[in-house]
Amino acid sequence: MPNITIDGIEFEAEEGWTILEVAKFLGLEIPTLCYDEGLSPWGGCRLCIVEIGVGDKSKLVTSCTYPVEEGLVVRTASKRVVHARKVIVELLLAQCPLSKTIQDLAAKLGVQKVRFTPKWEDCIYCGKCVRICEEQMQANAIGFVNRGNKLKITTPFDKTSDVCRRCGACMYICPACMLRCEGPEPPGVVCGGCYNELQPTCLEYYDNYMCYEGLKGDCGTCIREKPETKTVQKQGGKDVVDKT
Amino acid sequence: MIEKIEKIRKRIAEREVPDVPTIVISSGTCGRARGSLKVIKAFEEEVKRRNLDGKLKLRITGCHGFCEAEPNVVIQPDEIFYQHLKPEDVPEIIDATLDGKVVEKFLYADPKTGERFVHKDEIPFYRKQMQLLMGNNLLVDPTSIDDYIAIGGYKALDKVLEELSGEDVIEIIKKSGLRGRGGAGFPTGFKWAFCRKAPGDTKYIICNADEGDPGAYMDRSLLEGNPHSVLEGMIIGAYAIGANEGWIYVRHEYPLAVKNVTRAIEQARELGLLGENILGSGFSFDIKIMEGAGAFVCGEETALIYSLEGRRGTPRQRPPFPIKKGLFGKPTNINNVETWANVPQIINRGADWFASIGTEMSKGTKIFSLVGKVNNTGLVEVPMGITLREVIFDIGGGIPCDKKFKAVQTGGPSGGCIPEELIDLPVDYESLTKAGAIMGSGGMIVMDENTCMLDIAKYFLNFLVDESCGKCVPCREGVQRMLEIVTRITEGKGCEEDLELLEELGNVVKDTSMCGLGQTAPNSVLATLRYFKDEYLAHIKRMRCPAAVCKEIISSPCQHTCPIDTEVPVYISMIATGQYEEALKTIKKDNPLSSTLARVCHHPCERKCRSGEGGEPIAIRGLKRFVTDYGLKNNLLLKAEVFPKNGKGKVAVVGSGPAGLGCAFELRQEGYEVTIFEKLPVVGGMLVVGIPEYRLPKEILQSDIDYITSAGIDVQTNTALGRDFSISDLFTNGYKAVFIATGAHKSLKLNIPGEDARGVYPSMEVLTALNLGKGIAIGKRVGIVGGGNSAVDAARAVLRTGIPKSVSIFYRRTIAEMPAFKEEVEAALEEEIDIRFLTAPMRINAENGELKSCEFVKMRLGEYDSSGRRRPVPIKGSEFTVELDTLIVAISEKPDISFAEEAGLLVTKWETLSVDAETFATPLKGVFAGGDVTTGPNTVVDAVAAGKIAARSIDQFISGRKIMREYKITRPSKYLPPLELSDEELLETGRRAMPHLAPQERKHIFKEIELGFDEKDAVKEAKRCIRCDLETCDGKRFLEELKEFSKVN
Repeated sequence: MPNITIDGIEFEAEEGWTILEVAKFLGLEIPTLCYDEGLSPWGGCRLCIVEIGVGDKSKLVTSCTYPVEEGLVVRTASKRVVHARKVIVELLLAQCPLSKTIQDLAAKLGVQKVRFTPKWEDCIYCGKCVRICEEQMQANAIGFVNRGNKLKITTPFDKTSDVCRRCGACMYICPACMLRCEGPEPPGVVCGGCYNELQPTCLEYYDNYMCYEGLKGDCGTCIREKPETKTVQKQGGKDVVDKT
Repeated sequence: MIEKIEKIRKRIAEREVPDVPTIVISSGTCGRARGSLKVIKAFEEEVKRRNLDGKLKLRITGCHGFCEAEPNVVIQPDEIFYQHLKPEDVPEIIDATLDGKVVEKFLYADPKTGERFVHKDEIPFYRKQMQLLMGNNLLVDPTSIDDYIAIGGYKALDKVLEELSGEDVIEIIKKSGLRGRGGAGFPTGFKWAFCRKAPGDTKYIICNADEGDPGAYMDRSLLEGNPHSVLEGMIIGAYAIGANEGWIYVRHEYPLAVKNVTRAIEQARELGLLGENILGSGFSFDIKIMEGAGAFVCGEETALIYSLEGRRGTPRQRPPFPIKKGLFGKPTNINNVETWANVPQIINRGADWFASIGTEMSKGTKIFSLVGKVNNTGLVEVPMGITLREVIFDIGGGIPCDKKFKAVQTGGPSGGCIPEELIDLPVDYESLTKAGAIMGSGGMIVMDENTCMLDIAKYFLNFLVDESCGKCVPCREGVQRMLEIVTRITEGKGCEEDLELLEELGNVVKDTSMCGLGQTAPNSVLATLRYFKDEYLAHIKRMRCPAAVCKEIISSPCQHTCPIDTEVPVYISMIATGQYEEALKTIKKDNPLSSTLARVCHHPCERKCRSGEGGEPIAIRGLKRFVTDYGLKNNLLLKAEVFPKNGKGKVAVVGSGPAGLGCAFELRQEGYEVTIFEKLPVVGGMLVVGIPEYRLPKEILQSDIDYITSAGIDVQTNTALGRDFSISDLFTNGYKAVFIATGAHKSLKLNIPGEDARGVYPSMEVLTALNLGKGIAIGKRVGIVGGGNSAVDAARAVLRTGIPKSVSIFYRRTIAEMPAFKEEVEAALEEEIDIRFLTAPMRINAENGELKSCEFVKMRLGEYDSSGRRRPVPIKGSEFTVELDTLIVAISEKPDISFAEEAGLLVTKWETLSVDAETFATPLKGVFAGGDVTTGPNTVVDAVAAGKIAARSIDQFISGRKIMREYKITRPSKYLPPLELSDEELLETGRRAMPHLAPQERKHIFKEIELGFDEKDAVKEAKRCIRCDLETCDGKRFLEELKEFSKVN
C-alpha cells in the first residue's frame, strides 16, 4: 500500500486509488467538472490538477487519473495549481457564462473578471453525457464529432438516433446546459451572485490547512475582508479606487 | 542462417554488371510533383530505343534531398549531379554519360557566384551534410529488396538474431545515445528496456509515421526511399523488446510511402525476414500497416493507439504510459520512422561509432526539412550540434532575393522561432529547448524580413485551433483565445495588457494541457513574444507592421512602408485610368518634394510590393516620375495653395534640405509663418550639393523648391546657425519654435598616415564643388575609398568632368555588403568604373606634400559582426600600391554640430543631435531637430518624413497641447474601383525597365540618365498593380457597395 504525502498529511493509500480518491477520503477539496464517480476518468476539464513532485521537477497532473505511487508528494492547492485553475475557469466561463455550475466554481475560486469575449455557448465538452450514455446506459447514442473549434456532441450523422431511449441521463448529468444561472444576465460575464452570499468570512489570517471551505486562502475572501485603506477619487465621472 | 542472407547478396552481386554507369533518378513525391515521372519515361524510352541494356543502367529512387533541384539525377559512379531536368534533356544526358562527358548546362550553379559544380558532394547543399540515412536513398530502388540487401541491408538483423540477445541489443542502443527523433528526444534504449521489462506476454511495437507538421516531410522520404531500413530497425526492435506484432501508422496522404512500404513488407515476408520463425531463429514477428485519416493529434502516441484500436483519435491522460499499457492494453513501444531507421546502422557500425557523432547529449545525425525563405529547400541530414547558421547559410544557401534573415521556426507548429541573434546556436535537443523552440520531428522554416512574426504565430495557432482534439479545456479554449488575442493585435485593436494575458494564458496552457500537442501549442506565441516583443508593441502602440504583412493595419504595403504615407495604390490606379492630374494631386498631398523624390527616392515601397512576391514589384518610383514630369510639362500644380495665417506665430527652420523643406511646408499649411535659414547661397541642402546633376537635374529640384516657397515661406540664404545667429537670438526675435535640420555635410577621415597630402579630398568637398560649378583640381588617375552612395556619386560625377583617365572605387567588403543603392552600383559598373572589392587603404604616400600613391591591403570576410555582416579582416602580406593623382575619401559623413554646445543641445556618441525618437523634440524647450543631423547620413524620404513629423510636434507645442506622436492604421483617403483587364493585359506581368541613356552616351556628360516612362508604358505598368489595398475589411466593403451600385444601375 503506497505511502504518500498530500498537503503535508502522510497517508497510506489503498492500492489503485487515484489522488482524487485520496483527497476525497481525507476531505481535501479539489474542484472537478468532468469527473463523476460512476464514470471512467476523462481528465478533460483539468480543474482537478494538483502539483506533484518537488522543486524543478514538480509538475501538474490531473488527480482524477493519476494513480498513487509510493513516495508521492502532492499539493492540492499550491499557487501554481490555483492560478491555473482560475485561468481554466475563466476560459470556461467565457465559453459558457450561463452555467450555474461554472459561475459557482468561479466564485469559489475567486475569479472576478473574465478577460475574453464571451461566447454564450451551451456546452463545455466535458463528455459526461457521452460517457454516461455509453457506460451506464449502454446506449452509445451520442458521441463527439469533429475536433478543435468544430468539436460538437451529437448523434451519428446528426440524425435522430434509433438507439436513444430518451432516458435523459445525458441531461441529468450535464453541468453546463441544464443547470442554468437564473439570475439576470450578468454584466461582465461573472455573476457569482448566489454563491457569493454563502461565502465564509475568514479570520484575519488564513490558516493554510484550516480554511472552512478548503480554499487555503486562495479564494481571496479573507484578503478582501481585511481592512484596507481606500481612497476614492472622482475622475471623469467614474469612481476610481486607489488601493494604498 | 547467416548464409541465407549472404547467399542472396552473392546472387545479387553476380547479376551486377560492373563498370556500367547508372543514372539515378530522384522520384519521391517531391520529384513527381515537379515532373520526374515524365523524365523517367523519357529515359526508359531512350534506353529502349537505342538498345542500351548492359551499357547503361537506370535506377529510380526516392528523394535525394535537394528538392529545390527536382527533377534531378545523379550519374554513378562519378556522382555527377544534374538538376531541373525536362524530358527533352534526356538524350543529351545519355550521350554525355556514354561518352564519359559532363553537360555543363544542367549542373548546379551557385546563385550568387554562378560557379558550377560537377559532383554531388561538391555542391554547397551537400558539402556539409552527413547523409547516413538519406545517402542510401540514392543507392536503392525502394521497390527492390535486392538493392537494399546488396548494400548490406539486413546484415544487422542477421547479426542480432545470430549473436545477440534482446538485452544485448538494448545495451547497444542505450550506449549509442540514440534519442527519439519524433521530437521529445526520449532515450530510445531506455524506452525499449522499460517495455521489455513491462509485465505481459503480448507486446507490440509501433512505427509512428503520422507526420503532420506543415512543411516537414523527412519521414515520408525515408519510407518512400528506403522502406527496408525502417523495417529492419523494427524487426530488431521487436526482437529486443519481445514483441511479435508491429504496426506502421502512416498518414493516408502519403500514398507513395504506403505503396512502397506495403511492397517492402511483402518482399520481406517472401524472403522470410518477416513472419513466423525469421531466418530460422525461432523469433516470429510481422508488421501491419494502418493508414491514419490525417488528424495532426494522432501523431501523439496515446491518440495514435486509440486510432489504431479503431476509436476516436484523442489522447488520454498518461500514466499509464504505453510502454506499460498501450495498444489493446498491452505494453507497446512507439518510435518515430527516423529512430527505427537509425537502428540497423548502430548495430552494424557499433554504438561507439554512433556516439562519436554529435554532441554530448544528442548523438548521431538528424534529418531536417529546410523550407521557407531559403535558396536551397530540401531535406538535409546533419550531425547534431551543427549550428543553425551552417544549416541555413552554408547548406541552405541563404535567403533569396537579397532579403535579410529574420528567424527560423524549428519543430513546426509546436516549436518556436529562433531569432537572428541566436543563429550560431548548435542544433541539439537541449539548446533548442533552452531557446524556447523544440527539435520536433525536424521541420525548419526559414523566415526573412518580409515575414511578420505575429502573422506566423497566427498561422500556427490557426492550424492548432483546427487540429486540437478538443478534449481538454486549456488546449481547446486556450488556443482559441490566444488566436483571438493575436488576431486582435494584428488588426490594430490590441492593447498592452493583451501581451501579459497572452503570456499568462500561454503558460497555463503549456502547464495544464493533457498531451504534447497542447503542452507545446503556445510555443509559437511564447517564443515570438520572447524574441520579437518589439514587433508586438509596434502593432499595438504604433499601428505598424514592420514586415508589412498584417492586412488590417497596413492596407497596402507600399503606402504603409512609405515614410511620408504617400497613397501609392490610389495614384497608381489613377494613372492606369489616365487621370494624371488627379494622380499628381494625390502625390503632392503628402509629398512636397515630389519631382525630386520621383528621381532619388530609395523606394522602400517597391521592396515590400505584393506584386514582388514571386514576381517583380511595380515600378512605383518610375510611375511617380511619369506623373510629376507630366505635371511639369503641362504646368500643373506648380504653385502651392497659400493658407491663411493662423495667428499662432512664427517658426524658424534652420537648414533648407529635405527635412527643413518638409517641415516648413507642413507648418505653412497649418498656418504658421515660417522662415528658413540656409548657410549656403543655394536652397536645397544635400539635395543640391550632394546629389549630382545626372541623377537630379537642378531645374527639377528648383521646381520643387519653387512649389514649396510659393506657399509663402521666407528663405534667408547665406545665414548660418552659430556664425550669424544663435538659437536664443531666434526666440528673442519672436520665433515660437525652432526646427534644426542642418544635415550631415562633414566627411569622415580615414585616419591613416599621409591623409593631409594635396590631392586627397573629402567626398563632400568634391561633390559640392562640382554641383555648384566651382573648380576643383582633379587628376588623371582618381581613386575613391568607400562603398556608400557618396562614394559612387563622387566616382560617377568625377568621371563626367572628362578629366580622369581611370576612376576606381576601393571598398573593404564585397558587392553584397555595399551600402550604396544597387542600381547606382550597377550603373557605375556599366560606365566602366573599376570597383575593387575587399580592399582597404593603409597609408597615403606623398611627395612634396603632393599625393603620389596609396597603399592598400587585401581583405577577406571573417566572422559575422553585430550588424549581421561579415567583418573584413586584412590578409597579411597582400599589401599593394596604386599610383593616384586624386584620392576621394567617401567613407561616411557626420553632421557639423559646432553650435550644439553653446545652445545647450545634447549630442550622441555618433556626434548627432539627441532627440526624442517619437516627437523629434530636443531637451531644449521649443527646439526640435530632424533629418541627417539626428540620424547621420540617411535617405531623402526619411528626412522629409522627419520634417513632417517634427512639424506636427511643433504645432502641438505652440498650441500648448501634449507633444506626442499620433498613430493610426494605414488607409487610403479613397478607394478606386479595380480595373477590368483584358486577357492580353493579364499576361503582361513583367516589370517595365526604366529607359536609360546608354553608358557610352552618358559617361562624360551631366545630363540626366533616366529618361522616364512614356505614357503607354506608364499605363501598362500601372495596370500591373494587384490592388491589394482592397483586401482590408474597408476595401471589401467598398467592393460590395460598388457591386450593389452597379446592380441598381
